[in-house]
Amino acid sequence: MKDKILQTLRDLRVYALEKGVEAGFFYHEEDSHLMRFANSAISLNTNEHLIRLEITAFDGKRRATYEMITDLSKLEEMKQGLDIAAEMVKHAMPLSYQPTNPAYAQDFGDESAYDPQLASLTGEERLAYFNEAVQGLETDDIKLSGIFASGTNVTAQMTTRSEHAQYFKTSDAQINVVLSHQTKKWEVLAEQSAQQKSDLNPAGLQRELSFLLKRYQDELAQQIPVGKYDIVFGAAAIGDLLSIMNWVGFNGGSMKRGFSFIGEDKPGQKVFSDKFNLSDDPTRRETFPFQRDMIGLERKPFPIVEQGVFKGFTWFQDDADEFGVAPSGHTVMHKSLVLAGGEEQVSSLEQLVGLPRENDLLYIPYLHYMNIVNPSKGLITGSSRFGALLLKKDGSVVVPFNVRITQSLLDIFGEKVAWMSQAQTVNNTSASYGARNPTAVIAPTFMRVNDLEISHSNSSY
Amino acid sequence: MQQTQLKTQIERLKSAGATYVDARWYPREETSNLTMWNGNLKNASASQESGVGVRVLYKGAWGFSASSDMSGLAGLFDKAFDNARVAAERVTFPVRLAEKDAIQASFSSPNRIDPFEVDLSEKIAFLQALDEKLNQAGVVQRVTDMTFMRKQIIFLDSEGSEIEKNIIEVFPGIQVMGMDSNGEMHSRKFSPARIGETRGWETLDLQMFMENGERIVRELNEILVAEACPQEERSVILLPGIMFLQTHETIGHALELDRILGYELAFAGGSFVTLNDFGKLRYGSPKLTARANATIPNSPGSFGYDDDGIPAQDNLLIDKGILVGAITGRQMVEEANARARRPIFSGSSGANRATAFYRAPIERMTNINIDPGQDGTLDDIVSKTERGILLDGEKSWSIGSNREQFHFATDIGWLVEDGKISKVVKNSTYKGDTLKFYNSLSAVGDKSTWQVQYVDNCGKGQPNQIMQLGHGVPVCRFDNVRIGE
Repeated sequence: MKDKILQTLRDLRVYALEKGVEAGFFYHEEDSHLMRFANSAISLNTNEHLIRLEITAFDGKRRATYEMITDLSKLEEMKQGLDIAAEMVKHAMPLSYQPTNPAYAQDFGDESAYDPQLASLTGEERLAYFNEAVQGLETDDIKLSGIFASGTNVTAQMTTRSEHAQYFKTSDAQINVVLSHQTKKWEVLAEQSAQQKSDLNPAGLQRELSFLLKRYQDELAQQIPVGKYDIVFGAAAIGDLLSIMNWVGFNGGSMKRGFSFIGEDKPGQKVFSDKFNLSDDPTRRETFPFQRDMIGLERKPFPIVEQGVFKGFTWFQDDADEFGVAPSGHTVMHKSLVLAGGEEQVSSLEQLVGLPRENDLLYIPYLHYMNIVNPSKGLITGSSRFGALLLKKDGSVVVPFNVRITQSLLDIFGEKVAWMSQAQTVNNTSASYGARNPTAVIAPTFMRVNDLEISHSNSSY
Repeated sequence: MQQTQLKTQIERLKSAGATYVDARWYPREETSNLTMWNGNLKNASASQESGVGVRVLYKGAWGFSASSDMSGLAGLFDKAFDNARVAAERVTFPVRLAEKDAIQASFSSPNRIDPFEVDLSEKIAFLQALDEKLNQAGVVQRVTDMTFMRKQIIFLDSEGSEIEKNIIEVFPGIQVMGMDSNGEMHSRKFSPARIGETRGWETLDLQMFMENGERIVRELNEILVAEACPQEERSVILLPGIMFLQTHETIGHALELDRILGYELAFAGGSFVTLNDFGKLRYGSPKLTARANATIPNSPGSFGYDDDGIPAQDNLLIDKGILVGAITGRQMVEEANARARRPIFSGSSGANRATAFYRAPIERMTNINIDPGQDGTLDDIVSKTERGILLDGEKSWSIGSNREQFHFATDIGWLVEDGKISKVVKNSTYKGDTLKFYNSLSAVGDKSTWQVQYVDNCGKGQPNQIMQLGHGVPVCRFDNVRIGE
């Protein structure tokens, strides 16, 4: 299949050259499977096999793109797509800068993040995984929801500027298992990310869910007072916060346009807690990494924040072109964000609950529906969900109704950070809008931040 | 030809034991976007796709499969059947579908000028003219954009329905941004309300955009020198430019029956509404009447027939404050009635939709509207507000997982003191609990304040689906709301 894909791109390249069109071709193929559960049943079992081809035509400073869902047998249709892009670009207006159409210096292929065993999971295997993950946990009142999303992703790129191509193939799985009470309306969740079949561990999910479930079954949920709390965030919440920071923090284009809470003068300055060490590390296979970016730049571990000191912005090629900045190897569908672990020896919720504590700790594993209230201040808002706990200093555990936090990322990752766990968790942050793009953030399993404000507290679910 | 082949496959699976089969064939779906940012045509893109999605019900479970390759239809149908067969191994409430009539029909969205027939150069000239208009003092970022969609959908099912839909949509917008003396970015935007009976290129009135461009630049400059929104309790008066989103998030999503029944708990969330609430729950004050109306002509929430093959309807959701209806499809109404052990719903409300051929349909909003009220014009409402804030323009929105509470930030706020607008404030926000908020509804503007606003990016479901819809809403005032936090 790889040969056929690359040959198709070569054929398109030849066609473009014959037509005198400068063009770039981005090929995306997904084989996606999703088994969705609700009310303890499989509510949807679906698969899609889709091939997308994006053709960008260039004419000096003009640029136009035509995208199609197609298949490899339709070369003539693809050529028509090139003709349309070529026609569009004639009418496009010139940009104020020269956009880059890359010339790949060599062929590059990477299938190291592809596991054929994960890619070929059957429906029966997905169901068996779920059955094991919730074994003994469902009742008449406690119902299962969740997804088992898995698939294969292939991307390939070629341009008219060289005869070389890039090719990437990955396999991935994202599993979310939710147990919810029919009438009391609470929900607990455990999740897993997999790049290879051996990453799948339904027994681990079962243990997590069992522990949470016992707390939620034994305790009556309470409305907790608004005010300041010492909060322990779980890896999923941390992953989502970092994903937002990727957008309104260290993204160079956002900064230049005024949508970043990190100013242009901040590289080299201390911005966050000295416990905060963030990098883009494409050597971590769990993040479904790209070893080359779409411009052909080799990607290496890139420090973004070291001991709280901001090291530099990341640049997408088009922003680098527009603002006259050197590209940084970040023209990728997703980065490989890794937040380093700290020194706290806690790797499970059970251990966290058992830790001696001088203050009450509010454990927030997930932040639901986060949004950016003020990008210039890094101000975000979101609600707790899926298994929050108030760990009282007397050792007791309270189940809180959901609470809202409206805080700046500068506070959350700033001097209020008390500790990060040494243990890390791979948090799958893939979204299934548009083309498949398996993405994961590696973060400490837990991070404690003191003195954060809870601005709203529910009186029920 | 393709339809004949699809019918053959549908019949084949029926003969093989499927309870129900449908196919949605998209011969062609096209999308085009032009985005100009500070004078640069950053995006000039077009796309096309075609393919078929097949849904099979077998032993009470759904299977779905989709492909753009029409050459292997038998294999595609078999895959959908096989997916249903596996799903049938874990069934708790076997899927049943509410009764419907078999329909042979077609629907075309009303438009006079197909935007795909308009020259690219004319579209770019439109954006350029607007960009130049917005390029004024105080504006550091300016964005003009327009998105066009055109799709043909052929729906066939094993119950004899055969429906063709041809839908065209136009989504334009402009936005300006500026930096205040604290280095904080603020923005003001304009997306036109739906005026007239059509939704094609003809709805783009350059003069209207120019006038509103001038207005949003002026308002942006007022924001840039404004004080911060106070942190206190006030009446909030929501203009349609934010009321549509309030309605969307805390009435629309809360009343999707699949959410109420727990089908979205793995991701989007549930609803604070229970089946016991229908006919009883006081959702809002008696001034609140909301409906799901898929029959208004000029909105993307009107599509003729849903992806169950159910005709468009106009249904009450909240009648003078009392919850009476929901956003429903064929499957969910059957399950809801059975679970409630009473007939809450008499049939599907025709709101089951998929975003593309490669997604399975789920409950989606049509046009979730608030009826105009008896409290006069905007000026009338302001004049009868002692201490309030007038809000417009969605900036951020965050909603509790059961839609029970919310936090919104808006582009602009105007303080109201003793019945008069006093000054502009920046960084305006408001928050509340959904039921308490709607029960504090104290004024609903008349028809002069009512506008149909569109949503072109409503996300829901797994795999995620983006949907287009509308909200016809008046100016509304709510009392005792926390702002500025």
